Amino acid sequence: MTSMNTAERLAAIRGGAKPKRHNARTIAALTRNPGCARRAVLDCAGIDKQRLAAYVDFPARFGQSQFAIARGNAFEAQVKADGAAELLTLLRERLGLSIPEVAYDDLASVTGREQESPEVRYARTRTLLIRAATGAGDAGTLFDHPLLRINVAGQPVYLEPDLIAFQAGGRFHVVEIKSFAIVDGQADAGKVSSAAIQSAVYVLAMRELLAEAGFDPEIVSHDVVLVCPRDFSNRPTAVLVDVRKQLAVLRRQLGRMTRIDELLAALPPDLSFDLAPDAAGVPTRDPAAIVTALRAIDARYTPDCLAVCELAYFCRHEARGCTAALGPATREALGGIDRVETALALAHDVLPPAEEQAEAAALLQAAARLRAEALAGAPA
Amino acid sequence: MAEPVEVLERRIDALRAAVRRSVVAGDTARARALRAELRAAERAWDEAIANLAEATAPKPEPVATRAVPARPVTPLLPVREQVHDALTLLTVPAAPKLIADVHEAFFGTGGLAAGRLTHLRRDERRSYETARRARPYYLCSALTAEYLTPARGLFAVSTWPLERRIVGPLSPRVHFLTAAVRIAERAARLPRVSAAVTRLLWRFATNIPGAAAPGQLPATVDTRVIIEAAGDELEVHIEADRAQRAAAADRARRQLDDVAQLFGHTLDRVRGTKTA
Amino acid sequence: MSTLVALARAEAVAAGFAQRTTTVRHLHVAARPLVFVPLSMAGEANAPLAALVGTDPAAPRLLVVPQPRNRDQRFRFAAELAEVLLPYLDSFRGVAEAVPVNRGKEIRHRYVDAPQVLVPNPAGIQFTRLLGRSTRFRRTDGDYPVHPSVPLLGRWLTFLADRAEHPGSCLLLAMTEALTLHWATGQSPLEDNHLAALLAWIDPPDGLTGAEAAARAEDPLTWPPAGPLTDPTFDNEVLAPLIAAYAEAGDDPGRQARAREALAEALRGQLAPTWRLMWRGLALLRDLPPGARVAQRWAEDRDAFTGFASYLDEGGHPQPRRDGAVVAAQRLHRLERALQSYAVQRAYDDPLVMADYRLTGEAFVGEVTLADPNRIDDSGRRRVLRPRIMLRTTDPVQVTPGTAVYSPDRPQQKARVVLVTPRPDGTGTDVVLELTGGLGRALTPAPGSVPEVGERVCYTTLSDGFMPPGEFPAREETPWTHGGPPTADEEAVEPTAEDALEEWE
Repeated sequence: MTSMNTAERLAAIRGGAKPKRHNARTIAALTRNPGCARRAVLDCAGIDKQRLAAYVDFPARFGQSQFAIARGNAFEAQVKADGAAELLTLLRERLGLSIPEVAYDDLASVTGREQESPEVRYARTRTLLIRAATGAGDAGTLFDHPLLRINVAGQPVYLEPDLIAFQAGGRFHVVEIKSFAIVDGQADAGKVSSAAIQSAVYVLAMRELLAEAGFDPEIVSHDVVLVCPRDFSNRPTAVLVDVRKQLAVLRRQLGRMTRIDELLAALPPDLSFDLAPDAAGVPTRDPAAIVTALRAIDARYTPDCLAVCELAYFCRHEARGCTAALGPATREALGGIDRVETALALAHDVLPPAEEQAEAAALLQAAARLRAEALAGAPA
Repeated sequence: MAEPVEVLERRIDALRAAVRRSVVAGDTARARALRAELRAAERAWDEAIANLAEATAPKPEPVATRAVPARPVTPLLPVREQVHDALTLLTVPAAPKLIADVHEAFFGTGGLAAGRLTHLRRDERRSYETARRARPYYLCSALTAEYLTPARGLFAVSTWPLERRIVGPLSPRVHFLTAAVRIAERAARLPRVSAAVTRLLWRFATNIPGAAAPGQLPATVDTRVIIEAAGDELEVHIEADRAQRAAAADRARRQLDDVAQLFGHTLDRVRGTKTA
Repeated sequence: MSTLVALARAEAVAAGFAQRTTTVRHLHVAARPLVFVPLSMAGEANAPLAALVGTDPAAPRLLVVPQPRNRDQRFRFAAELAEVLLPYLDSFRGVAEAVPVNRGKEIRHRYVDAPQVLVPNPAGIQFTRLLGRSTRFRRTDGDYPVHPSVPLLGRWLTFLADRAEHPGSCLLLAMTEALTLHWATGQSPLEDNHLAALLAWIDPPDGLTGAEAAARAEDPLTWPPAGPLTDPTFDNEVLAPLIAAYAEAGDDPGRQARAREALAEALRGQLAPTWRLMWRGLALLRDLPPGARVAQRWAEDRDAFTGFASYLDEGGHPQPRRDGAVVAAQRLHRLERALQSYAVQRAYDDPLVMADYRLTGEAFVGEVTLADPNRIDDSGRRRVLRPRIMLRTTDPVQVTPGTAVYSPDRPQQKARVVLVTPRPDGTGTDVVLELTGGLGRALTPAPGSVPEVGERVCYTTLSDGFMPPGEFPAREETPWTHGGPPTADEEAVEPTAEDALEEWE
């Protein structure tokens, strides 16, 4: 009952627009900055944050280069070509997959038609994965294009991973194919960590699927197989990535989002981000009203948001004058004081510190004195 | 008189900026309209520059340059015959990429781009439906063993036995290994192995256990070793694969009409039912 | 981040302009640096797309790769870069100076100057490293031969990128790092990676605050990213159609030339703003007075440059793909020592940096209130000069009796803490120090060697003294626990035919 009310409430907040679909990347992004209520509400409601940010004149600055997309697609197609011949080689060499284990099931299509409902595809994935988990003779090894499902804020979200779930010896591994290079055994740490958290979303979804069917969720390994181009070539290489930490973060954050009701209860009842498009699709809502609506939900801006959240530029503008906007390290070094002007006033001894600020104030005053002294004695 | 080049250049710059801003703003309709304007301006600039070059150049010899054909000569064989040649060599269903690579390696000078195969199957089906058996062969689909639906992206030949056109879970590997054997056999008969053939052999050799030694260089790839190694692994899979395909073929013969046996079943009429 | 730097950031927010975090420059700025602004294609490991490179702000050389996925064109880019970079490096190999070593018993030579390459940001250094990695193993014979300059370029780029990891080295610098070493902006360190925004805070155009200018500098249409990655909307809306047009031009020389020209212009448009920022950044750095120990570190850079140049003269092989266990441990040890020494030297050179240590109690500044310069210690076998001084400081003193402390003003002298007494009226702390060394040879101190009453002096636990190098086994004796002796990938060896075949496409 409550979940219906929640769904209705979220739909009202979204307005007339279609909900924005989640994917592993957007779910992974939820785990960054989990304390931000604004982001939690907008994401749960499926609001197009990119459009919204542009509408209030703070457009997000990230997009994907078509070169990167094309390279990613080409590499994935190559690794999976000819019954995933290259992938099989890697799994045999690196993970000891035995020679008879070569079965390849493509779950992309059930009926051979272009458009299929996610329910039909999910059902087929479920059937095959359960059959594999049961360990029947023709259990299958590689499962391409499975369709998985995960609950985000009480709503089912279908995930369409470009991955192969591979099972050997009764244990499933998620295979993630990425086109960033591993050069001499080293890869960009940021890219590896995004790949890890995305894979963790798939691990979680597969575990839920199998647990629902009465299997031990741990038969889906927390070691995912990351396949990347080696050095400067197109030749693939594989490494195992342990995603236990990411799984824990993800579970915590998704659990938090199921308690979205608490967040919603604190918001104005008429809150809406409806852009009210006219017949031609041109929004008619006053941008100022959208800004007011955004301000009604608390945000927790950090500079990291700039790389992951479409609304970051709006929130940064709002956070001007906050020490958090200077980054967590600066905020901490300023004794955890919230506002820049407060920190400065304490440092220059023009504001009597509150009791809990006494220690920070003493440190800031000492720092200010030392800074002034050093600058005064400095050569011009 | 067309606009001067400088004016066009300023317009192009302004349009590029406008397109990028509308993309960032998520305004796809406006981006599309501006993009069209931008392409027009770029074409106008290209023409203007070409005219300028012609006007200032000291009268080149236009006849000589025009005589050179701008495009490579189109191969004489139609696409369907090229695909047929490649599939006949392979003897198993194959994806456009492999078909194109095999064609390039053994049959000729490029010509067959994988992208040109996009509409081929639809055309073949239409042709088959309008004048059944008017042609000696059709390029058709491979069928999935489970649902008898067309297997994504695979081509087969209508004259092949139905069993050979079925794809079970083990078939992609069996196809790969069979293709390796066929390609190596064909390469062994060549008087001279071209770079394209070597590349193709190497791709197979590196993905079959025992077909290439560690640290071996592509140029030294050995067709006999490939045939032997592929044969060894084939023995592991072939019986199970054959049984699965034979069972599916029986089902297809019982349940599918002529067209569906060649181009696959679309499950339209039997939605959701699973053929046991 | 230290509280002093954080405070400077807060002050930058309030002022609207960046604030200095040092009183001197801690980097060497060369008289004739080379600026290198590379762009690479998105989605590829290391596909050069274009670069502006050169030593003359008014005349950069533009390098363009019309089809970045084409292997030959990539190597042509490397060869063209070599045409600029190698003569630049060679130009420093004219005059050498003699340096006495081994207590003056021997002499070695080092060049009197060295190259300095500047890239916009740390990603530019990573680009340099990868370009070095992808070119240094190439061969000039056999299959896929490249121009002889290509593997040589690869070795130099690798040397520069390795050296950039060495704290305090100035042979290859990232401009954003060079600037943030000296200024604090009113934005986050993450945002400081944006060169245009960073410079806007430091040196905004007339009539704008740094904050306002930085906000404008974030618009990728007016200030393209400083690379190596380009803005995605530039890729999709401008670059992709131009690359396609070049490919479509085929063999038509007129069309091809026009398509290339259009592509070059678009890429120049992405690079030129960053090129100008680089020289502005250089000018700002040059305006700062250099710290006293900058020249000493630059001499180490010159040593490294001289050493690598002669290694190559002797036919040195390309650097290995990975370091073996012993080499890696030695390198780590060297970097740690350099890091420590760099931190100490900056503090010695700069009271504003030393202030960080005063805040944490690792240093204190005070006025000398008592001095006994002629104190003799005769408790031992020999009478020795051991002057004592007392100073009063208001800094938080964390040192305890017995601790050795040093003064940046008298680096040859060591002081031992004898007594630390907080003053009863709370006006500070009295510290008694006993001095050894740097006093001259007699039993009376040389003039000026003992701080006088009334002098303000700084003492710190940081020591810039000699640190003994660690001991490591020979490489061929690497214990099995550390993987045993190095493999071929871990040693500098002649590249094999297989190396030359390594794909780069």
